[in-house]
Amino acid sequence: MVWMWHGLLGAPLASLEVGEHLYWELGNLKIHGQVFITSWIVMALLIGASLLGTRNAQRVPQGWQNFMEYVLDFVRTLTRNQLGEKEYRAWLPFVGTLFLFIFTCNWTGILVPWKLIELPAGELAASTNDINTTAALALLTSLAYFYAGFSRKGLLGYFKGYLYPSPIMLPFKIIEDFTKPLSLSFRLFGNILADELVVGVLVLLVPVLLPVPLMVLGLFLSGIQALIFATLASTYIAEALEDHEHEEEAEIA
Amino acid sequence: MMMSVGTVWLAEAGGLFDLDATLPLMAIQFLVLVAVLNAVFYKPLLRVVDEREEYIRSNQAQAKELQAKAAQLTRQYDQELAVARREAQKTLNAAQEQAKQESQAQIRVAQQAAQAQIAQAQADLAAQQAQALAQLEPQVQSLGEAILAKLLV
Repeated sequence: MVWMWHGLLGAPLASLEVGEHLYWELGNLKIHGQVFITSWIVMALLIGASLLGTRNAQRVPQGWQNFMEYVLDFVRTLTRNQLGEKEYRAWLPFVGTLFLFIFTCNWTGILVPWKLIELPAGELAASTNDINTTAALALLTSLAYFYAGFSRKGLLGYFKGYLYPSPIMLPFKIIEDFTKPLSLSFRLFGNILADELVVGVLVLLVPVLLPVPLMVLGLFLSGIQALIFATLASTYIAEALEDHEHEEEAEIA
Repeated sequence: MMMSVGTVWLAEAGGLFDLDATLPLMAIQFLVLVAVLNAVFYKPLLRVVDEREEYIRSNQAQAKELQAKAAQLTRQYDQELAVARREAQKTLNAAQEQAKQESQAQIRVAQQAAQAQIAQAQADLAAQQAQALAQLEPQVQSLGEAILAKLLV
């Protein structure tokens, strides 16, 4: 599963690996080590940056606190736009962390030359290029919006919302519950992996300069992907929280 | 060396769509990250931001109050100033009026005094004239008689 390209001097200038994993055995479970290594680094980065920003939080922000407040403001606006002033506080940690984790994963995947670190198998890259990571995040999002709906309207009340605005919508709404996590996970996974592959292939063909614009495009795309994931997650939660009965009353009134 | 793309996707154990225990562990790990970030990022920073907003809002309210007070004081000052101006004008007018009256009165008194003196002087003059005439009367008589005697001689 290794593509090698031997330069004129016979030395491998670049290689590309797809679908190879560094397996760790955990009991009788198999896990992808390379995904966890980069995710731990990303988590350490996030927690470290947060601690640095809030360690000595002042009313007049100074230094790093400014940046962290900018970050907070960004995710806060994102969440508030979808969930509204009343609801967003409770969901901010989840949605905000979704964005920050995915964004940091994606960007470190492009900016940090992980591939220079040799692993026994597989290679280090953005954690989000593994379907396990994106599926985990997508399923958590599903759980989140189910939880939001159940806790707001009760089990029955939530599923009654599936009949709104008309019972014809029922099958579509049920299908949606499956397509939402699927599309979330595959969109993120596909975009990140595809970007890495395109850059990798280009590096194989022309190792200098040419891949740079694509890497810049990759930065843009991975930012957008993080934004899309977080926005969709908060939209789904907002949808589950939506109060159809009151809406009807409001329409009548 | 080069393998076709097709074989990459569905190869041996592993491959692109290799779902395993990574998924649940990653989910748990992510939830832990949410909890940790909530404790070290969202909560403390939100608290600071809220406090700041509260501080700004209260300061703004206070500033507005002070501004209103200042505007009220200005208005009051203007009113008092206008009243004082009016009163000053009134006092000035009164003083002027009084001065005019006083000067007129004095002029009148002076004129009366002058008139009296003139009348006195005229009376004196008339008396002296009468006295002089009375004194001259006998002399005129004797002189007349002398002239007559001379003529008749």
